Formats: sequence, C-alpha cells, structure tokens
Amino acid sequence: MSEPASAVDAQHLSKRYGDVVAVDDLSFRIGRGEVVGFLGPNGAGKTTTLRMLTGFLPPSDGTAAIAGHDIFRAPLPARRAIGYLPENPPLYPEMTVQSYVDYVARLKDVPRADRGDAVARALERCGLAEVRRRVIRDLSKGFRQRVGLAQAIVHDPPVLVLDEPTVGLDPIQIREIRSLIAELAAPAHGDQRQTVLLSTHILPEVAAICSRVIMIQRGRKAIDRPLVDLLDEEGSLEAVFGRVTSGEFAAQARRV
Amino acid sequence: MSHVSQIAARELRAFFVSPVAYVVLALWALLAATFFLASVITFDSEIARLQQFGAFEQLELLNLNDHLIASFLFSMWFVSIFAFPAITMGLFAAEKANGTEELLLTSPLTIWEIVLGKFLAGGAFAAILTGVAAFFPAMLFAYGDPELGKTMSGLMALFLVSLTYVAIGGFASSLTQNQLVAFLVTLALLFLVGLLIPQLVVFGLASDALHAQSALIEVMRWAGTGAHFERMVMGLVETRDLAYFAVLIAAFLLLTKTSVESVRWR
Repeated sequence: MSEPASAVDAQHLSKRYGDVVAVDDLSFRIGRGEVVGFLGPNGAGKTTTLRMLTGFLPPSDGTAAIAGHDIFRAPLPARRAIGYLPENPPLYPEMTVQSYVDYVARLKDVPRADRGDAVARALERCGLAEVRRRVIRDLSKGFRQRVGLAQAIVHDPPVLVLDEPTVGLDPIQIREIRSLIAELAAPAHGDQRQTVLLSTHILPEVAAICSRVIMIQRGRKAIDRPLVDLLDEEGSLEAVFGRVTSGEFAAQARRV
Repeated sequence: MSHVSQIAARELRAFFVSPVAYVVLALWALLAATFFLASVITFDSEIARLQQFGAFEQLELLNLNDHLIASFLFSMWFVSIFAFPAITMGLFAAEKANGTEELLLTSPLTIWEIVLGKFLAGGAFAAILTGVAAFFPAMLFAYGDPELGKTMSGLMALFLVSLTYVAIGGFASSLTQNQLVAFLVTLALLFLVGLLIPQLVVFGLASDALHAQSALIEVMRWAGTGAHFERMVMGLVETRDLAYFAVLIAAFLLLTKTSVESVRWR
C-alpha cells in the first residue's frame, strides 16, 4: 500500500493491447502539492497512463493508489479524489456552462449544501462567470478548455490530472490556461495546493509551472527528476527531450 | 440511487433540446390520430354493414374494446417499432461521440447507475408516448362505455412493449458511437422480435418445416412480442406475459452493462 503522504502512487503499471505494449512497468510516486510535468513524444503512453490512473482503463499489470485509495480495491473513492481533464474535454454541447459544471458536481458527489458554492467557485477560478449561461456549443475552443478545467476542479479534488490542456489553443489562450494551472498549483489566497500531473509535449509549459519532470519513452520511464536538477545538468529541457527520444535514455533505462 | 436520477434527468433535458424528441412526438401524435380515426371509421362501417344485413347477434358481439381500441393499440405497437430506435439511438452513442463517456467512467459511478439512468430516461419518454396514445381511447369514454380494465391493460401492454424497446435500443446504442448505426441496428432487432419471429412461426408451420409441438416453435412463439401483447390487449394480465417483458428488459440491460464495461477491456 501507499504511504498516506503520496497523492499518486503508481506501482509497476503496464498496459498491453495484444502484443503491443503501451505502458511497461511504470512506477512513480507524487507527493501532496507537487506539480509534475509528464512528458514524452506522441505515442509514448502518456494518455494511456493517465487513463489508468483515473480509472478509465484498468492496467494489465500493476496498480496505483490515488490519495491512498487503491484503484482496484477502492475505485469509487479513488475516482472521487481525482479531477481529470482528458485530451478532449468531455463536454455536452447542448448544456449551458453552469448546468454542465453543476451536473459534474453531482456526479462527483459534492454534497448538496456545498454544490452551489463549489460550482460558483469553479466558474470563477476558470474565468467563466460571465459566460455561465451560454450554451457550450457556442463557446470558443479556449473557453471550452476552461469549462473542461472547471469540471475537473469543481469537487476540489486533491489530485488534478490534465492531459495536454493547451493543445490546439492560440498563444493567448495558452498563456491564460497556463496561468490558470499555475494558480491552481500555487494559489494566491489560502486555497489548498493541489497536486497536479500535467501531460504535455510543450516544453516551456513544464518549465513555467512544474517542479518535477517525469519523462517516458515507449511506455517506460526515462527520467524522473526535479526540474532544477535537470536544468542544471542538461541546460535545457529540449536537450533532454532530444536525447530521450533519440533512444539513448530509453536504451539505458532498459538495461538498468 | 441519486446518480441514476441525475443521469436520467440530464438525458431527458438533452432529449428536449434536440429536435429528435419533438419530431418523434409530433409524428407519434399524428399517426395516433390517423390510426384512431381509421379504427373509428372501420368500426362504424362494420356496424352499418351488420345492421344492413340484420345480423343482430353479431352486432351484439361488437364492442369498443375488442374492435376499436385493440386495433388502435396494434397500430401504435407497429409505430413504436419505428419510433423507439430514434429515441434510444443517442443514449450511449452520443456519450461516445462527445467524449463524455470518459467523464462518466472516471466519475465515482457504477456502470449500473449509468445504465439504469439511461433506461429511466428512455422509460420516461415511453411513458409520455403512452400518455399521448392514451388520450384517444380516453375520448371514447365520453361517447360510449368501453371497459376501463381492458383499456388499461391494453395501454399497459403498449407501455411494457415500449420499455422493452428502450432496453433493446439502449443496448444497440452502447455498441457504437454512430447514432445512425444505432438506429438501424435497433430497427433490425425490433423487427426481428416484433414481426419476423412470429412470421417465421407461421411460415414454419405452414410449410411443415417445423412441428407444431417442437421445442423450437415453443421458444419462437414465446420470443415474439405479438402473442404477449395481444393477450394483454384482450384484457388478460398474466404472469407469463409480464415475465416475458421483464426477462427481455433485464437481459438487454445486462447486455448493455457488459457492453459499456467492455470499453475497459480494450
């Protein structure tokens, strides 16, 4: 079992589709309040890993605990402890922003007495207060992404899992979403720090908000280090990323 | 249980912001009116014919339930074969297409809560359609004296058939993310259960390919909706017919649950 201190504890996670190994014996531990960048080239197994952590896909091998709840033995508490923004935000186009976030709050078991406040707060934090009566279908892509974030944080989960939250956005929207995530990770006023696992292949994003980097390549862990150390030694994330994807690190990792 | 009603409530609201619900409701009401009128006209001309020939004994046997409401309900059963695929096609397929399946499956919900919530929403719509259909026989009470019990059991038969079709359509919808595919698969299944199996029984018996007493013919007779529906329309509420609908609904809900869950097996 996991120590109560770790927010995410992945133990030997593997996912195989027939003969194809998408994720291969991946273990890592994330402490409360950490903001971790989860990197890797396309197809490295990032989304599959996140889907296993969030309970969408069961691992072929291994397990994980979210805030101390094992995803197999206590799936409902584990899922309750996670806020998840999938690659494509899971939105109902015909709903209004507010009714959608309210619906998600109900699904995530936010107590009735707190629901109104929780929804209002999530809308406020994601800058959606003015558009709360708009129908989601009519929103721009950037706003939809914010609605996706709002549904992920509405139940104030200890762990936030974000799968490429800025993909397909324009530079201004990217900056907005990024500062929103940074604000969630290190809140300005009294809110609790959230543990964030942020999957991306945009390196400046990691440098901007993350304190630690986990990089995977072909389903295996290639790097797991604090960002500062990594930058000290390698100079830039680009250099690390280049070396890992060219196979050097992957080969090393396989030997170890 | 509250998750079930939340999912059902969202689904129902989604029905009524999409044009499909209104198109189905409008067509249903229009066809109900048309078939009711046709039944009234047929009934009327039958009376006139029997009076003309002075067949007073047969005239005595004519009644509103067996000769008007029954044929109306049979027509509406036929309409429901086309109406329900349109209602249920989006139940699960739309979640897949929207990507909201991922939201549901990563929320603290059980698969049963999702499946029952969807079924409840479809069932509520089925109740609305049955209510619209009930309006027409209800008018007869103002002008004649049909039997209330028989009328109610006929309407209950229509409602139970509808619920069964919701369960079947929900299953078809859970197989695909394409609503048109869900519609066509449901239509095929409903034709099979509603019309094809009884026809096969008739052909099988007529051509001597099947023995009247064989186990196969018994199973096929049981599987077709018609006989169960007919007995209830004729006022017979029997456990075996109620069990037929219950078994079909339970079986398809179980299949749906398995199908929704199977996303996790990939």
